[in-house]
Amino acid sequence: MIIPQIIIILLIILGILSLQFKDLLNAVISLAIFSLLSSLLFYYLHAPDVSIAEAAVGAGVATVIFIAVIGKTRRKEE
Amino acid sequence: MKESEIVSVISRKLVPYILIFGLYLISYGHLSPGGGFQGGVVLASGIILLALARGTDSAQKLFPEKNLRIVEAKAFFLFLFMGIGGLVAGGYFLQNFLPLGKAGEVPSAGFIFFLNLIIGLKVSAGISLICFYLLKGE
Repeated sequence: MIIPQIIIILLIILGILSLQFKDLLNAVISLAIFSLLSSLLFYYLHAPDVSIAEAAVGAGVATVIFIAVIGKTRRKEE
Repeated sequence: MKESEIVSVISRKLVPYILIFGLYLISYGHLSPGGGFQGGVVLASGIILLALARGTDSAQKLFPEKNLRIVEAKAFFLFLFMGIGGLVAGGYFLQNFLPLGKAGEVPSAGFIFFLNLIIGLKVSAGISLICFYLLKGE
């Protein structure tokens, strides 16, 4: 099983990217991909319950809330 | 924000299936992965998709804000009353007093099904209220 290791490395790369981006919209999108990949990881680790919750909350609702907040404040980080 | 034909049509076709999937997750919560919270969040994401694609006003024609607020507030008390009903009937808080069916069928776990239903309604109403209030000011 090499797939969980690949997913974990991608998760680390996406986490560092979302910290480094100066454009906050890019950071939010990379966080959405992060939680989608981590829901895939939970599914591989035989936790489909957590996987459904992570996909719905992390990739769906949290992204909408973050983008709405970016729309109300600034988009660029100084 | 400019209205897009593609987003509008796709979201209108997709939202009923998302809502049905959320209700499936809630009603099969005691048999398969899923349950009250997960199904409720899926229901809320369907409502939020409608609000994002068609505007909060047309989403509130289907899911009025007043009704969502009532559901969000009353569901907790309904849960509490079911727990106290178990206390009265069986001696413990949340004690089951409904007949247990055959294992593996949908009505098979006493009132865990109803508890899942209440939690799902409460979660979906709460999360969609949060997103309505956030999206309304634009």
